[in-house]
Amino acid sequence: MKEMKDTMNKSKIKRNSIGVLLVLTALYLSLIAYFCYAVVFYGSRWFSDSYNSRVKMDETNPRIIPGSIMDRNGVVLAETKEEVVKDPTTGKSERYYFRVYHDKAASVAHVVGFNHSKYGRTGVEAFYVYYLMGYNNSLIEKIYQKAFLPQERGNDVVLTVDFRLQDYITQLLKQQGKKGSVVLLNPKTGEILAMVSYPTFNPNDMDNVDDDSLLNRATQGLYPPGSVFKVVTAAAALENIENIGERKFNCTGAVEFDGTRVQCYKGEAHGEVDLAQALAVSCNTTFSNLGVEIGWKSLLKMGKKFGFNEDFLFSDIRMKMSSLPITYKTSKPEMAWTAIGQGKVLVTPLHMAMIAATIANDGVMMEPKLLYKVVGRNGDTQKQLKASVYRKVLNEESARILKDMMIKVVQEGTGKQAQSGVITVAGKTGTAEEGTKDQQNRNLAWFVGFASVDNPTLAIAVLVEDVGQGETGGTQAAPLAKKVIEKAVELGY
Amino acid sequence: MSAKQYEILALTMRYWFVLLIFYIFARSLFSTVRYLRNVKLADESTGNIPFVLVLFSLTAFILLSLKGQLDVLTLLMGILVCSTFLFQYLLLCYLFSGMDRYLLLMVDTLCIVGFVVLQRLQPTLAFRQVEWFGLGSIFLLLTILYVKYFKYWDKLNYPLMVVGLGVLILTLAIGKEIGGAKNWIQIWKYNVQPSEFVKIILVLVLSADLKENKSRLRRLPVLLFTALVILLVVLQKDLGAAFLYFCVFVFLYYTATSDWLVAAGASFLAFIGAVISYHLFGHVRTRIAAWYNPWADVENRGYQIAQSLIAIASGGWVGLGLGLGSPHVIPASKTDFIFAAICEEMGIITGVFIIGLYMLIMIRGVAIALKAQKPGDMLLAMGATISLAIQSFTIIGGVIKMIPLTGVTMPFVSYGGSSMLVSFGLLGIIQGIAIKNRRKSKDEEAQLRHEGDERYDEQE
Repeated sequence: MKEMKDTMNKSKIKRNSIGVLLVLTALYLSLIAYFCYAVVFYGSRWFSDSYNSRVKMDETNPRIIPGSIMDRNGVVLAETKEEVVKDPTTGKSERYYFRVYHDKAASVAHVVGFNHSKYGRTGVEAFYVYYLMGYNNSLIEKIYQKAFLPQERGNDVVLTVDFRLQDYITQLLKQQGKKGSVVLLNPKTGEILAMVSYPTFNPNDMDNVDDDSLLNRATQGLYPPGSVFKVVTAAAALENIENIGERKFNCTGAVEFDGTRVQCYKGEAHGEVDLAQALAVSCNTTFSNLGVEIGWKSLLKMGKKFGFNEDFLFSDIRMKMSSLPITYKTSKPEMAWTAIGQGKVLVTPLHMAMIAATIANDGVMMEPKLLYKVVGRNGDTQKQLKASVYRKVLNEESARILKDMMIKVVQEGTGKQAQSGVITVAGKTGTAEEGTKDQQNRNLAWFVGFASVDNPTLAIAVLVEDVGQGETGGTQAAPLAKKVIEKAVELGY
Repeated sequence: MSAKQYEILALTMRYWFVLLIFYIFARSLFSTVRYLRNVKLADESTGNIPFVLVLFSLTAFILLSLKGQLDVLTLLMGILVCSTFLFQYLLLCYLFSGMDRYLLLMVDTLCIVGFVVLQRLQPTLAFRQVEWFGLGSIFLLLTILYVKYFKYWDKLNYPLMVVGLGVLILTLAIGKEIGGAKNWIQIWKYNVQPSEFVKIILVLVLSADLKENKSRLRRLPVLLFTALVILLVVLQKDLGAAFLYFCVFVFLYYTATSDWLVAAGASFLAFIGAVISYHLFGHVRTRIAAWYNPWADVENRGYQIAQSLIAIASGGWVGLGLGLGSPHVIPASKTDFIFAAICEEMGIITGVFIIGLYMLIMIRGVAIALKAQKPGDMLLAMGATISLAIQSFTIIGGVIKMIPLTGVTMPFVSYGGSSMLVSFGLLGIIQGIAIKNRRKSKDEEAQLRHEGDERYDEQE
């Protein structure tokens, strides 16, 4: 009797043990999978973290001295210099190593960053420390350097930015005297040609820097996009509502949702408009209506395709997550505000430039690239820029329609001041309000766009903070964009 | 040897170490697969794993001894490690022919990797760890004997419960606080962690009680005991141990009884308990926050995990080379975070193989349990296996930020006497069952042969 019970008990335990075995095996396999996933996707970020003391440059006795950083034309932006200093008390001379930046390094300060014994590392100095410190060298190269060179050296990093453009843009922003950011990239390859954040700082003089100027507004600054977000709403409308192109909207200057009033700029009634005209005149009424009609699900889907709410894991650049916080709980008024880029939508200038580039590039978003190439000790190229598609966001038809709409904005709409004599420009302006109702409102001026219309080689996002009352994206950001694009064309981009 | 020469040597040698670990892992993997497919285990040789292990430890210690001035002590340490390992392995093989040799070799591999990393981090600790390894091996021997010969272990259930509760209450009363948890007591000159030893007691008590078919009501003492030990370690702020006890209980209880209701109920209670302790205890919140985003507060709360991740990423796939990294930057690099130190200098690939070795240990443990003759033996082997498996999963998962970090040691690798002894004790339970199985199957074989002979005789 007891034995029979035992056998029954045993078969039950056996069955359950196999279940436990499967559960534990699954746990272990997921552990291995997670480990590999995390290392592959986040490893370079962990490595380049400024708390990694392994890659800290030792001033007196460095194992490896970091390589130089150059712009795409070979202008040296940062290099390591050595100096022999004699100690006055002991009379012993000691060799010091330190980073030196270009004279006008302030105009690329946010891109290049700094490597400072006291303040740590930022920018390219941090993100590419893997190359700068020679961690990518092959075993043979490492052994060769250790065996035959008096001092090991890291590799040189060549960036995609053009120093002349950086400098020009910085001067423009300085003249304007307002905080802001400009990002210029090539929509076909994703190369960042210029990325400026103003105010800026001098990396050669790190002791006199105020915190606000350290912020890289292009990648770390989150701003309400205002009307430039309407291109996303329009894209969602194009892909979700049939025959939207033929539809007419009637704008009376304002519309109400559950007691909340959304007004057009200065309360102006635009009358009967189609989608393209509505975008050209930046009609809030039409777009907030559209947003409510599309619904949170479709708008969120389109936003996610464009990269909202997404922690971009780009190999070349680290940027803050743009947020589009709409859910099934979002009320009608909130949806209306969201559709015109107000409410809780936040975006970085670089992301906005990527959105413009996507539309210019027939709906294909390219991964933004900042690393042009890595050059080894003998001038050999170790790593070369390779354009890579990040995602197909829009179908070609929608992209074409959006493109035409953005051309119209510049030709006859709010973006007239971006018109240029040398190249055809398309774009969208925006004036966003920042801050809550009871605080003093700050107006932000936006312009996003691309040039030329037929063969887009430049995509741009311009953001100017704190523009005065009555100023808009059309008057503050668009002229700036025009100048930058003209300069880029002059330089052959 | 000059610094540069050492660097060149260490850079080259890292491939060698990865290769050896890979070899051991691959051999164990094939053997385990064959074991699961029930190919005769009896005459399976362990091939040259002991030789490879000796090679591994000798080369690693020679390399370490070459850093700077030739360090004779490190060389001697290497010889000590090799001879201790060989002595332990050969002696146990000689004493118990039915022992699962692969299981022992995998565990020894983990121990030796631990010795090497400890030697690199702090040589005095490595020496103490070898001592613990020796003591652990004796403990292993004792538990094997206990499991194999001691027939009346279920009679000891109530005394064991009293002992378990007693030491935990004692710890709570006179314990010392080290590293945020009050779970140490000082005996003579050693700091002992009683919650470690309660692991073995829990496994013994649970499997003795659960092997009988009883009503839920009659299981009350055991349920109460489990609840109490978990509560006591929670009060000691030892969340890792609490989680471990809980997992052992739920898995073992379900295995023995197929009783979903109690398992689910316990999980529900644990969930409530976790939520309550999240709101009640600051250190729990800290842990969760540090896990959720260590970078948000790198300087304080997230420091440990951030440094661990940075170290792992700095190592890359094959590591920076033994002696070339800076694992000292990682807090608790000798105990809880030793996995990060291994990954930094010996590479992520080695880390993956180490996780793989733990997985194989777990699979073999369950396989041994499946082959056991009596329900009690099955549960005993399962309990010990689950305990080891969950513990290693918890700490590695915590170090790589997969799950919130709880302060448990990495079995057989982390520095620590209590941990080493108890891990070997759990291994001893598994090995004891394996030896029992083997004896039984030998008996059966003999019987079969005997019957065959008789039949043969009859035919004649």
